[in-house]
Amino acid sequence: MERLGWGAIALAALALPALTANTYYLYVAATVGLLVIVTAGLNVLVGFTGQISLGHAGFYAIGAYTAALLTTRAGWNPLAAVAVAILLAALVGAGVAGAALRVSGPYLAMVTIAFGIIVEGVLIEWVSVTRGPGGIFNIPKPGLQRSYWLIMVTAALALWLVANLRSSAWGRAFLAVRGSEVAAESLGLSAYYIRIVAFTVSAAFAGAGGTLFAFLNGYISPDSFTLQTSILFLLALLFGGTGYVAGPVVGSLVFTLLPELLTGLADYRLILYGGLLMLSIYWLPSGVVGALRQIFPRRRAQTRTQADLAPADAAKPHDRPVAGEPEQPLLRVEDASLAFGGVTALADVTLSVPARGIYAVIGPNGAGKTTLLNVLSGYYAPDAGVVRLNSESVSGRPPYAIARRGVARTFQTAQLFGDLTVLENVAVGVAGPRLGNVISALLAAPQARRQERELLQRALALIGAMGLLEWADRPAKALPAGLRRRLEIIRALARKPRLLLLDEPAAGLSSSEIQELDANLTALRDSGGPAIVLVEHHMDLVMAVSDQVSVLDYGRIIASGAPDVVRRHPAVIEAYLGASA
Amino acid sequence: MYGLVALGYHITWVTSRTMNFSQGTAVMAGAVVAYATFVGLGWPFLPSFIATLLALAVFGVIIERVAVWPFFRVASPAWLLSTIACGIIAENTAMLLFGKDARAFPSPLTQRPILVGGAGFYPQELLIPVAGLLLMGGVQLFYHRTGYGKQLKAVAYNPEAAGLMGIHIPRAVMFAYALSALLAGVAGVLLAPVLNVAATMGTIIGLKAFAVAIIGGLTSAPGIVIAGLGYGLVESFVAGYISTGAREIVGFALVILVLVLRPWGLLGSRPARRV
Repeated sequence: MERLGWGAIALAALALPALTANTYYLYVAATVGLLVIVTAGLNVLVGFTGQISLGHAGFYAIGAYTAALLTTRAGWNPLAAVAVAILLAALVGAGVAGAALRVSGPYLAMVTIAFGIIVEGVLIEWVSVTRGPGGIFNIPKPGLQRSYWLIMVTAALALWLVANLRSSAWGRAFLAVRGSEVAAESLGLSAYYIRIVAFTVSAAFAGAGGTLFAFLNGYISPDSFTLQTSILFLLALLFGGTGYVAGPVVGSLVFTLLPELLTGLADYRLILYGGLLMLSIYWLPSGVVGALRQIFPRRRAQTRTQADLAPADAAKPHDRPVAGEPEQPLLRVEDASLAFGGVTALADVTLSVPARGIYAVIGPNGAGKTTLLNVLSGYYAPDAGVVRLNSESVSGRPPYAIARRGVARTFQTAQLFGDLTVLENVAVGVAGPRLGNVISALLAAPQARRQERELLQRALALIGAMGLLEWADRPAKALPAGLRRRLEIIRALARKPRLLLLDEPAAGLSSSEIQELDANLTALRDSGGPAIVLVEHHMDLVMAVSDQVSVLDYGRIIASGAPDVVRRHPAVIEAYLGASA
Repeated sequence: MYGLVALGYHITWVTSRTMNFSQGTAVMAGAVVAYATFVGLGWPFLPSFIATLLALAVFGVIIERVAVWPFFRVASPAWLLSTIACGIIAENTAMLLFGKDARAFPSPLTQRPILVGGAGFYPQELLIPVAGLLLMGGVQLFYHRTGYGKQLKAVAYNPEAAGLMGIHIPRAVMFAYALSALLAGVAGVLLAPVLNVAATMGTIIGLKAFAVAIIGGLTSAPGIVIAGLGYGLVESFVAGYISTGAREIVGFALVILVLVLRPWGLLGSRPARRV
């Protein structure tokens, strides 16, 4: 079905110039191609990372004007002009992204709108360079036929590049950031940086589309680069289907051809656009392509068997050097305090976690256990006190920076990347912040492919070792609750951490699943795995696996020591049973 | 003036964490309805004004029902796009009914300009900020002094708890949208004599008001009022000393600057991070 669609579109694009000499049809088809180029890039931003831009006409304009000025004024070779124009669009894109992506949602929409309006304003006002509202004439035109082929080839190239990107470590990182920013940061990814890259890529694509627009028409003016244009880009993408490689094609076809077919109704054009958008928001939330995908699901990839695994890695998922570590604690917390608007969550907490073994933190509900984990992993900065990792202070560092120092964690409610498969979830953990070069990911360069294969093999081995193999190619959101937690632990272990923080891993598990978890944690400790900080309610589990226990109550540590000692501690009994000893 | 429209964003934002991205269309609708009744049908001013307010409240409710509620209910961010879609449709509809041309809106306050040291301005232009400030004061009083206003604030603070306390959430959100559209409508009526009435008049006003709301901080009404006044001043300075065209460039550059330095607006509060 999918192949058929692609084949039909390619055939139509190839056959059109042979079938008709009518320049109007060729021109319209070339416009479709232009829109495909821009929306394919926008798809990286909107579809993959889930951020919305209403300013991409600005990058389209930068591409068009740069190419036009360099060829008309400076007499450059068109190819060199195009290269510079794309580069400039990407650079400006990175700059705008740096400012815009500090915020999200309506704030981000505003910044991008503002950017678009500024560009349009500059085009109109800076008459000496841009010739103002009148625009630039006499841009060298390669002729309609050649323009047509140029645009079609570029459009195909754009789609190919985006498809490559989607199936690379970068593509997974984009979707991970959209799925759960919190979890992505716990794996060492800086959501901010990743979104900047996505924004920059999409700006470069819009710039490329702009250059071709200038050469196709031979004339450009600010009228082509208004807020309406930005909205049209976004509309076409949303209608076609965000996140799908084919989405931009469908959206571009509909949004270019429909107005042309209904020229008699030009006055109603905006109503039509608005209506189509409402229609797709109401009934096609994932666009036309998304809806088709639901009717004709993609055939599932072949079932994987143990034979596919590279067994060497599977036995020992964390090849941390065991010997030669100093006796010094791995993690030290010194007098950490944190209050939320007058409510004390942590008060003068001091503890030190050795480089080996399982350290449990228990306490009644609301005692501050999860808050403590959040301080350790950087999600909260303590008001006072220090967190030291290998005697380096990390308090106040962002989560991804702490994750890069070898700390991995799970969350109280499992934070999976729902749209990624189980295998891809683990692959995000395996790659961590090492995503490689985004340009080789776009081009699927041989080196990038090899790395990708190795990466997926490692991920597959981990999944196999923990018994999730049959789920490998299912989306993570399809997993039953018990397996979600297991996947989260596998993903964290994939980082080969030195310290693993588990936030109530037994919550919601059946008793047989808890036994399995018990066995897994013990095996992990005995095979020289990472140090583990375990926050848990389930007493049997804690008493069975931990080497050391600290009890938190009202944000204070009221007892610490071996499990048996802590269990008999009068303050602990009082905190749990409310009886005074 | 921008402050008045911007306050509309604030009202729906604090109640429901959503807003009508096409608030500018409501400004336009206010001006168009007032024109249609006052000039077109020849009604006296007061009935015409009341009809405009009613029409705008209905407009707000329609936007809320069609474009916001289905998504607010399921906590989907699609309201952002659906309100843009509604705005596009409303603007095109107005253009079809009203025509493409701008029309002058007669007002006794724009007949003769007052001259103050070389610069001329109409009394109407004085009326606008005064009326704007009065209305904003009224809205604040409503929120802080009346029972229903306090209920709305409760919804803003914690919808779930407010719902459990017996506050009718759907009605609260609907009310917020009606009030928000109504303020925009008043702004439209006030602006009509100065700007002329046209179907496309709303877009840029809506955008600038949004910029003001962001600069002041979406969660802070006083911040928005101050930002509104400040933005207006900066605009007229730039228009006076540089050029009218540079006005938009400087204005929107200001927004980006503020967001880089203080992402949640001058007086807005930073949303808590949840893990």
